[in-house]
Parts: sequence; C-alpha cells; structure tokens
Amino acid sequence: MATVSDAAPPPRSSMLGVRLREAGWGYAFVAVPIAVFGLFFIYPFGYAVYISFFHWGILGKQAGGSGTFNYSKVLHDPIFHTALKNVAEYTLGVVPLTMALGLSLALVINQKIRGRNFFRSAFYFPSIASSVAITTIALYIFNSDGLFNRIIGSQTPWFTTASKVTWAIVGLNTWTTSGTVMLYYLAGLQAISNDVYEAAALDNTSAWRTFWKITFPLLRPVHFFVLVVFGVGALKVFDQQFIVSGGAGGPNYSTYTPVLYIYRAAFSSFDFGLAAAAGVVYFVIIFAVTLVQNLTVGRREA
Amino acid sequence: MLQTSVATSAEPYIPGRARSEVIRKALAYAVVILVALIFFVPFVWTLITSFKTIPDSVNVSLIPHPWTTSAWRTIWTDYDFKRYIENSLFLAVVIVGCNLVLAGLGGYAFARLKFPGRELLFLLVLGTLMVPDQLRLIPVFVMLTNWHLIGNFSGYIFINLVTATNLFLMRQYFLTIPKDFEEAAKLDGAGYFKTFWRIMLPLALPAISTLVILQFQGTWNDFFWPLILFGQGSPSHYTVQLGLAELRFTYSTLWPQICAGSLIAILPVLAIFLAFQRYFVGGVVSAGVKG
Repeated sequence: MATVSDAAPPPRSSMLGVRLREAGWGYAFVAVPIAVFGLFFIYPFGYAVYISFFHWGILGKQAGGSGTFNYSKVLHDPIFHTALKNVAEYTLGVVPLTMALGLSLALVINQKIRGRNFFRSAFYFPSIASSVAITTIALYIFNSDGLFNRIIGSQTPWFTTASKVTWAIVGLNTWTTSGTVMLYYLAGLQAISNDVYEAAALDNTSAWRTFWKITFPLLRPVHFFVLVVFGVGALKVFDQQFIVSGGAGGPNYSTYTPVLYIYRAAFSSFDFGLAAAAGVVYFVIIFAVTLVQNLTVGRREA
Repeated sequence: MLQTSVATSAEPYIPGRARSEVIRKALAYAVVILVALIFFVPFVWTLITSFKTIPDSVNVSLIPHPWTTSAWRTIWTDYDFKRYIENSLFLAVVIVGCNLVLAGLGGYAFARLKFPGRELLFLLVLGTLMVPDQLRLIPVFVMLTNWHLIGNFSGYIFINLVTATNLFLMRQYFLTIPKDFEEAAKLDGAGYFKTFWRIMLPLALPAISTLVILQFQGTWNDFFWPLILFGQGSPSHYTVQLGLAELRFTYSTLWPQICAGSLIAILPVLAIFLAFQRYFVGGVVSAGVKG
C-alpha cells in the first residue's frame, strides 16, 4: 500500500490539509465521550484517594487536617470485618453453585431436545429482570407465612434470620445468574469439535467418564472467564442486601456487604472521608483477588 | 475387554446405546421441565397475588378470592407508580439516545479516523472499565453536589451520557465494515460527519440494536445510582426500581400492591426480551467468546 502512494504522491500541502481535517474531526467526535470518561471515571479515581485522607462531611472538607485516620478506622472497624466475612461467604457459596447449575443446564439444553430455545430463554430471563423486583418477589415467597414455608411446612423467616440470610441470598442469586452462566457454557460446548466425542464413543467410554475426562477440561476457558467475571461481580453485591434489610444491613449486621458499608458510611453517617477510604481499601482487595486468580487459574490457562 | 468388544463389532451395542439414549432424553426433559417450573412459579405466584385482596394474599390458593384489580389501580393512583414509570421511561429514552449518538461518533472515530494520541485515548476508554462504582461513588456524589446536580435528572443523565462498553461495541462493529463504502462516499465529496451519518451508522444497525436494547435494560433496571442521586430526599424523581423499594420498605405487608409493582418493574424488559431475544443472547455469547 505504501508503494502505491509513493508512486503517485499528491501535492504535499493538500495531503497535510486532509490529515489535519481528519484529525480535527477525530477529536471532535471523541471529545464528549473522553470528557465524560475523564470527568466521571478517571478524575474521581484520584479524587476518591484525596477525599480519603480528610475529615469530609456532607458540606465538604472539615477541620482536623489530613492523615491516614480514615484508613485505620476502616481497617479496625468490626462492622467492616463482618462485611468482608459476609461477602466472602456469599461469594464462595454463589460462584460454585452458579457454575454447577449453569453448566448442568447447558449440558441438558445442548442435547437435541424439543423446545430447547424456549427453555434457554426461560432460564436466562431472571438474569436480565430487575434485581429489585426479583428480590422483592423472593421476600414474598420466602416470608415466614409465604409460599415456600407453606410447602415445606415451616415458619422460618429466611431473609430476616441472621444465620440464614446470606444463604437465602446465595440461593436467590444462583437462581438469577445461572442463566447467564448457562449461555457461556453453551457457547463453550458448541465450540468443542464433534471428533473428540466420536473418538470417545468408539472407545465405548461412558457418558460420565466422557464428561469428566473430555468435556470438563475442554471447557477450561469458560470456567476461567466465569470465575473471574462472576467472582468479581459477587464481591460487589449490593442491591439484594439493601432490599432485604431496608438499607440497614441487619439483622445483626448479617446483610452488611462492603459496598453497603460504603453506602452507609456516606449516606447514614455522612462520613464521606471514611466512605472514600473504604472504597479505596475494597478496590485494592478486589484488585488483589483478580490478580491472584490470574496468576493461579489464569496461568495454567495460558 | 473393552478393546475386544470394539474390535469385533459395534452392531450389538446399538440397541443398548439406543435404550440409554432414550433414558437420557427422558431425564433431560424431566430436568428442564422441573427447572422451568421452579423458574416460573415465582412469577406466576406474583401475578396471582397481584389480583388478590390483602387478607387473601397470605393464603396458598391459586384462584384469588375475591378476584380484584384494586392492587393494580391503587399503585397507579395512591402509590405514584405512574410518575415512577414516566421518570424511568424518560431517563431510559434520553440515555439510550445520548449513548447511541456519542458511542456511535466516538466508536467511528476510534475505528476509522487517524489523529495523534488515538491509541492513548482509547486506552483511557478501556481504563474506565477498571474504575468500579463503589470507588467513584463518593467523588462523583461530591462533584454533583457542588454543581447542584443532586436530586435532578441532569446529574444522572450526565454521568450516563456514554459508557465505555457501548463505545467499544460500536468501534468493534465499525472495524468489521469494509472501507469501500466510505471511499465511495469520499469520492462523492461527502464530509466525515455525513459519511458517518449517512453511510456508517445505517450499516451498523445490528450493533445499534444491541446497544439500544441492552442500554434500555440497564437504565430501566438501575437501582444503585438513582438511589444515590434521588434517594436523598427527591421522591418526585424516583424511578420504578426506587419506587418499588420504597413501597416495600414503607408498606411491607401490602403484598398485592408490592407484587403488582414488581411485575411493572419487570414487564418492559420482558416485552423487549420476547421481541429481541437474539440480541440479548448474541451479546452474551460474543462476550463469552472474546473472554
């Protein structure tokens, strides 16, 4: 291509003009998006760190100088520890369960059954429905005198018992997100060549063995993708706990998650400095988790 | 043992395999139908309750007795859902429109136009994906407070004018369009904006459809930012999701109304999903292949 333009060079001044004009339009087209991203994403990143070093209230920076006091307060706050423990328990519960259910549904749907498109859509739909509405419906069905308790003959208030609520939300979100995970696994299953299965069939390998020895290892890229994306997503859980507890994080701090902690530090205690520090701390924690995932599961992946 | 049986003949195994195939099919149907039931029952139950009276809403009965539309009427009149729906629709339409134009223009420029610093700026676009909401929550709230943009729609619209995901989606699609179209337009003397508006944008219809559908769903379902920006004492700006949460917090036993409100919060997305399923499914799967 370069040789073509070399062979017939256009007048230099007009070439420069064309380039300048193109660059001008380029800048014009990206100006607003870059302004939005700079103003509401990149700049806030630094501003959050700045705020975290001050006593900062609803009216702005307060007297008392700067320092790392917000960080030591977050790191020594038992409620923040509880929030971390809650989200760890939630994530370690919801991610494997979602992967298992998503993969099972994908395996079933991947067979030549009638109405597979219908079932695929039915399983996927809860993923895209409003989380507030889904959580509200779950509160109704798992209420102490709700449908679920009537069926199993109990009176347990699943979402208002401190020892049960994390697992109730695990169950709820396994239901809503396994449909999306199923779609990823379906794509993965369809990418596996038929030859592999034909070879296994010739060897008379049982379906169970074929799955564990062939299908499951070949789905490794999907496992990794789902683990990283849905793992980080689970660490950011907020809507469900907020709706369940009315934004209070109860009973007995059992629905406190780190994001809810940040929200409450800001809009219930009006301590923006503390909220910003918690945001930075939690960002670092999630970043570290992602890094560890990449270095362990991801390295074998590559 | 296994080896010899394979070597001698595959024939005798066919009946056995066919039988196991039948069992597997039956099992598969049993599983999908069971799971589908578990997935559907909550929605059906919610629908039934929305036609019940409050005392009847704690009964396990499939037929409302008496049958009433009072929950649907009262959330409209007494519990302000009409306003919530208007607010949600207004925000969704404006934000989808802005994203379409800005992500389209930006995506086109990043895909096709040459300007110094393009790669660096594109890195900045991708960098925004690294900044989570819980980190920018405080600074963005402080900035919008200083600019008096808390508790009105413009603040919410500003922070949602265009997303990196949408811009990336448009750029990737523009990269797949052959350059012949633009060169023909250039020969006809069309400028950059005209080329974009008349040639490139119509060619990008599949990407546009995905953007419109997913952004509408995202804005309609959004709870976090409306809670931050309108939840601090601006009930007149409540969206459907915020209004539903408020209804549940304030009147925790008005189950028929709460159920009707939940269905309203779900229905527009359900309608769009039924009409444009392949865009949802396609979007997810292409993201999965990339990953």
